[in-house]
Amino acid sequence: MIIDNPKSHFILVIHPRILNGGKYTIYQGSEMNNGEVMQYWGKWLVLGEPDYLKILADKFDPLVESEKIPCIKYDRQPSANLGIKECVMMVYCDRRERDHIWKILEKHGIKLKAWVTEKETMEMWLPGGKLMEQWLAGTDFDEETKNKNREDALMRINHILEHSEEIFSPWAQ
Amino acid sequence: MAVKVRIPGSLKKWFNGHETVFCKGSTLAECINHLDEMFAGIRDQIIDKHNEISSVLIFLNGDNIRTLDGLSTLISTDDEISIIPLAAGG
Repeated sequence: MIIDNPKSHFILVIHPRILNGGKYTIYQGSEMNNGEVMQYWGKWLVLGEPDYLKILADKFDPLVESEKIPCIKYDRQPSANLGIKECVMMVYCDRRERDHIWKILEKHGIKLKAWVTEKETMEMWLPGGKLMEQWLAGTDFDEETKNKNREDALMRINHILEHSEEIFSPWAQ
Repeated sequence: MAVKVRIPGSLKKWFNGHETVFCKGSTLAECINHLDEMFAGIRDQIIDKHNEISSVLIFLNGDNIRTLDGLSTLISTDDEISIIPLAAGG
């Protein structure tokens, strides 16, 4: 199902069970723990205009419903505060299933091939990380609020690293 | 040996409007140098003064070259390089 909440920057394509508390970080039917997510979880990136990504989302929705694709998230509009002019669709999956998912994307005409791991993403959002600092620079937050954001990110990531056996809980979007 | 390079719309301006270009080189660094010969200024857009890839993410056959050998990553004829803005990777 497609969750299109106008108040959210992201549009989600998820399985309905996620609304009932189910996790999307699943591998072979089992919820992944923090350690597994850091080792295996990631996403294929698809870049394009909002209309193009909406068309793709409609096509992929049945594949998410049938659990061939775990989850998809995409920008409603380009993240101007990150200096990007296109929307990004993130097609999430476990690394061990990424080749199968790529074949699906390729069949739908996607050619630009870019896999980013969750670990790489988290590193970019750590204090001092390129995306965290670029994002903060584009906000009008005062220094205290910026530091609070940095501390929160560090705390969340440290928790993940220090509790590898705990079932992974995605960050609020 | 020509290698295909795929570019998203937002970076096409660096490549005279092309979405796909071909470059030559046995390593990623050589490929970037060749691209810079064809499209002046590309190298400075991609690589900072510390000789690190800065404003983009570069993928070889889908894998981020940071997880391979960075600029020293070896390139083969059938390989495909994709370049995206750094911000798109988050």
